[in-house]
Amino acid sequence: MLLISDVHLGKVAHFRKFGAAVPQKAIHKNFILLDEIVHHFQPFQVCFLGDLFHSSLNKEWQLFENWVSKTPSEIVLVAGNHDIIAPEKFEVLDIEIIQELEIDGFLLSHHPMERKGFFNFCGHIHPAVRLHGSGRQRLKLPCFFKKPSQLILPAFGEFTGTFALEPSKMDEVFVLVEDQVVKI
Amino acid sequence: MSSRKKTIPSPLGKDREGLFQIAQDWFQQQSWKPFAFQKESWTAFLQGKHGLLNAPTGSGKTYALWFPIVLNYIKNNPDYKTKHKKGLKAIWITPLRALSQEIKQSAERITEDLGTQMTVGVRTGDTSTKERARQKNKMPDLLITTPESLQLLLSSKGYDKVFKDCSAIVIDEWHELLGTKRGVQMELALSRLKTVSKDLRIWGISATIGNLEQARQVLLGPETKAYDNSVLIRAKLNKKITVKSIIPKEMETFPWRGHLGLRLLEDVVPIINNSKTTLLFTNTRSQCEIWFQKILEQHPEYAGEFAMHHGSVNKETRLWVEQAIRNESLKAVVCTSSLDLGVDFAPVETVVQIGGPKGVARFLQRAGRSGHQPGKESVIHFLPTHAMELIEASAMQKAVQNAAVEDRIPYLNSFDVLLQYLTTLAVSDGFYPNEIFREVKQTFCYQAITEDHWQWLLNFLVMGSQSLKTYDEYQKVEVEEDGKFKVNNRGIAMRHRFQIGTIVGDASIQVRYQKGGYIGSIEEFFISKLAPGDVFTFAGRNLEFIRIKGMQAHVRNSNKRTNKVPSWMGGRLSFSAQMSELLRQELYTAASPNPSKGGEQSEEIRALKPMFDKQREESKVPKPDEFLIETFKTRDGYHHLFYPFEGRGVHEAMSSLLAYRISLLTPITCSLAYNDYGFELLSDKPIDIQEVLDNNLFTVDYMRSDLQKSLNSNEMARRKFRDIAVISGMVFTGYPDKGIKMKHLQSSSQLLFDVFKDFEADNLLYQQAFTETFEHQLEEGRLRMALERIAKQEIVWKQCTKPTPFSFPIITDRLREKLSSEKLADRIKRMTKVLMK
Repeated sequence: MLLISDVHLGKVAHFRKFGAAVPQKAIHKNFILLDEIVHHFQPFQVCFLGDLFHSSLNKEWQLFENWVSKTPSEIVLVAGNHDIIAPEKFEVLDIEIIQELEIDGFLLSHHPMERKGFFNFCGHIHPAVRLHGSGRQRLKLPCFFKKPSQLILPAFGEFTGTFALEPSKMDEVFVLVEDQVVKI
Repeated sequence: MSSRKKTIPSPLGKDREGLFQIAQDWFQQQSWKPFAFQKESWTAFLQGKHGLLNAPTGSGKTYALWFPIVLNYIKNNPDYKTKHKKGLKAIWITPLRALSQEIKQSAERITEDLGTQMTVGVRTGDTSTKERARQKNKMPDLLITTPESLQLLLSSKGYDKVFKDCSAIVIDEWHELLGTKRGVQMELALSRLKTVSKDLRIWGISATIGNLEQARQVLLGPETKAYDNSVLIRAKLNKKITVKSIIPKEMETFPWRGHLGLRLLEDVVPIINNSKTTLLFTNTRSQCEIWFQKILEQHPEYAGEFAMHHGSVNKETRLWVEQAIRNESLKAVVCTSSLDLGVDFAPVETVVQIGGPKGVARFLQRAGRSGHQPGKESVIHFLPTHAMELIEASAMQKAVQNAAVEDRIPYLNSFDVLLQYLTTLAVSDGFYPNEIFREVKQTFCYQAITEDHWQWLLNFLVMGSQSLKTYDEYQKVEVEEDGKFKVNNRGIAMRHRFQIGTIVGDASIQVRYQKGGYIGSIEEFFISKLAPGDVFTFAGRNLEFIRIKGMQAHVRNSNKRTNKVPSWMGGRLSFSAQMSELLRQELYTAASPNPSKGGEQSEEIRALKPMFDKQREESKVPKPDEFLIETFKTRDGYHHLFYPFEGRGVHEAMSSLLAYRISLLTPITCSLAYNDYGFELLSDKPIDIQEVLDNNLFTVDYMRSDLQKSLNSNEMARRKFRDIAVISGMVFTGYPDKGIKMKHLQSSSQLLFDVFKDFEADNLLYQQAFTETFEHQLEEGRLRMALERIAKQEIVWKQCTKPTPFSFPIITDRLREKLSSEKLADRIKRMTKVLMK
């Protein structure tokens, strides 16, 4: 199963619809990346951990329909706070919408959750960390943020922001650096 | 002054004398005598000329222009005493809405005393919706408004009828607008009014700046009929200004850095006591708050006679303070630039400037706040906040003598403002591109705009891109059948109107008591750092933060002490070339006290001896033919300091240029800091200065292209983009009171910048961020001259063991620029653990 969080499809189109001219090419980038990752892992199932669509229905939905039709994997959506598109639209595409999913001791959700006996995979936060080094250097990078029984995934989508978290001693952080993931 | 005046015969003849008599009589009734510049302005105005009046605040400039406006009405309406011709006759633009009441009063004095039935009205962001609607139906004869509110008028239907019979527009404090995007907004509005108002005179009023002639050109448009038919009038009010430095008694312990200046607080007390009313000017609102608190803490006897005035304090309090100054019921007021403009305060006897005023023009203006009666001298005390500022104090005295005033550099090709303006026109009555292009091209800002640019902008407005895609839902401006560009979507029109006012600044949050009662406004980023229960100082009170609600912060009074003071990003002005030169000369007297060469040491430089001694211990005080470089290591990393003494702007550019060139030699990450004396490259690795010198990295060759490339690897352009994104309407800042609800349309300009970088790097607005940085912020011409000067100097490289007095104010500056040529992964490997607030 492939877990993807916070793609925020439709955000660019939504902005454009309201008169903010975000470059159209950014729309395609999301789908290109989705194709790449599905092609690479060839998962049996793709599970979106919420905020798949940023807004109400717009024409990016058609692009999403195309993508679904050519993607062989089964698709599940754990609903997020942004997912306001009618469930029927997803049903037509054979996409199951669920509030959360418990499997083999794992709990998949959009918002971070704690449940005894489960390790939680979630999104929502768009986590990032700030790094600093000698010479007053600072960086803020998106990351996978791992707590003892939780992993918060970074936002997958282009044109989504980040929120800086402060790790405690128990936490582990894996930052995204260009095309690799580096453990801090 | 114009020489053209004599060649054009007066079209008025006797008529004008009659009109003048009315004005003269009025002055006589007040037992005043009109100044020469006032009469000159009346004449030129009544001859139908446009012009720029160079007159300081409080010199009677309002009478120089309100009078001819009213006289002109009298001329055209001989039965003015009995009959009233309705409709807008003149607009007075003020950059600060706080000044509008004052201007209204002086206008009303004339209209009433002369027995006209003219009405005077104010329209600003403070004007109620009801009042605005009333004005819409029935405009006052004379309207006082702000550049933003004028744009809003242009965004309402049928605006052309409103302005049809407008005979004059006066732009007050033009120097404050020039060199800002509000100035560009004004240029565009004027370009439209020139067409819409058939008999319009355009007048600007400006304090003294370096480029007055250019200021007139920007106001009227270069090579326009209006410019040809215009005059520049200077009010030559020779006023004696005396600058006195407050010299610390114990120089040995006077700090090398800092910006508050509280150490000299007790030295201010005798100054306050010896004068009727004293204004204490601070550079930031937080500094203002702190001084107010501290003075009252240590001198409770001032309670009741001591007040504070800055832009975030609520309007009622500000008006009360201004009135109290006039009544002479206050001993002293701590203020910021909020009291720079407008309002004539006769009782002010003394002015104290705390910290470097960052500009001769501003310093002169503040000095002019005191001793307002004709013939009286203005006294200004300069209070240094750290040792190096004493050099500035000394140079400032010479600058005042030479009137070495800065230029205000006007913007060129601000496509963001143009897009906003075009949307404004599309929102109201729609526009035809050909007609508007002709008008726009006549402005100073867009004199070089090409047809290609224009087409790009039109495409952007209509399609949100340069080519039409089938699935795209972009919506903004539509092209109607007859070729008219028009916004028909009400939501877009509404959002645009809200956006017009937000041409500058961060989102501001109103601070209110829970039970109501407005205290003032604070920038959002300060509030966002507070947790409920936190106590902060604001408007002279200790307040406990309760919660954020909409765009309001609720607070209650608190007895707890706190050191949290909101900070505001103040504009940091750079010194003019002339002032930098004076500063250098001043400093060089410290190295070679040679009275025969005119290098006599001033009192300030002599007082600084302990600091210069310390500097010599570790490093050197450079002579005129020496260029000092210092390197040392601290806990923060490896410091590399360079001292060209060229002013902040040049140092900003030079540090970026040098860091870029070094990064070509070896991959490196630097953080850059600069002040008016020099700049620093701070890195986690040492830079080989010998290599820098051997490779001749200070060369003028390829300067332009290197500088341009350096912008790609640092953040300056990214920051410029923030305003551009808001002004052009790509980032929506939210409705004033429903901020939260519009969240799905808010995005950060940073995010947008990245998307443009990756997907649409040829976008004109993205490009503008770079050209603006390059042309506006980094003064290319001066950088070139500075590099040429350095080429002739001997380079003195001191490897120090610890920070020197010269370096201290720079290395402790936390507002820094970054530049990196390293791979991200490599940097991260070296970076330590996370944890940063």
